[in-house]
Amino acid sequence: MSDESISVIRIRDVLLVTMPADPDDTTVAALQERTLEAMDLHDVRGLVLDLSKVEILDSYFARTVAETAQMVGLMGGETIIAGMSPAVAITATELGVTLGKTRTALTIDRALDLISKPGDGTRPRREP
Amino acid sequence: MAADEVRVAIKLGFSSGDITLIATAISELARNILSYARQGEILLRTVDGSNRTGILIVASDEGPGISDIRQALRDGFSTSGSLGMGLPGVRRLMDEFEITSEPMHGTTVKVKKWKQ
Repeated sequence: MSDESISVIRIRDVLLVTMPADPDDTTVAALQERTLEAMDLHDVRGLVLDLSKVEILDSYFARTVAETAQMVGLMGGETIIAGMSPAVAITATELGVTLGKTRTALTIDRALDLISKPGDGTRPRREP
Repeated sequence: MAADEVRVAIKLGFSSGDITLIATAISELARNILSYARQGEILLRTVDGSNRTGILIVASDEGPGISDIRQALRDGFSTSGSLGMGLPGVRRLMDEFEITSEPMHGTTVKVKKWKQ
């Protein structure tokens, strides 16, 4: 089903990766592969991970996002998570999930602004 | 995965925020079953309190059980290599939380969320 798959498009020197609303585990697992493949293929600064459609962010999904951001970091790119809904943010916080040191933005526009500016000098770090 | 559960919660009139919360809790309970017991079941039922309605979720399995429940409810504790946020996380998401487990016989987790 096309509405349940990940979309990866390149805009100038940024990848825009959009997750579907209710991805199953196979789709979540594909996030890592699709993203790293695209990073390898294109000369980009990093990626904006659009979570605005996402309705459920459970511990597995959150861990995959954090790990993917870390891997992208090792490849020399930056990940900015964009568009998380209030309900998902509340649920993720109560559940106790963290996204490591991955930077976030309210919207894709803001994420694109952020990614063209230098970060605070720290690389995404894996949480213990 | 959680589409059917979400439909039940919508029918009960939960807010969209609560539906996200309930669906996430169900997802975590299902993950727990998969990582520890391989198979089990999750039942959903509406519950009526004195002047409120809610949803009851019962996740049960016949897996290895939990020998130390207190430890399993501590943040960051996991014997399956996951992040160990499953049970304590679910407990925070829901209004009522009850767990019974017998080593070698399985585990049952009952949680309730009341409509605001």
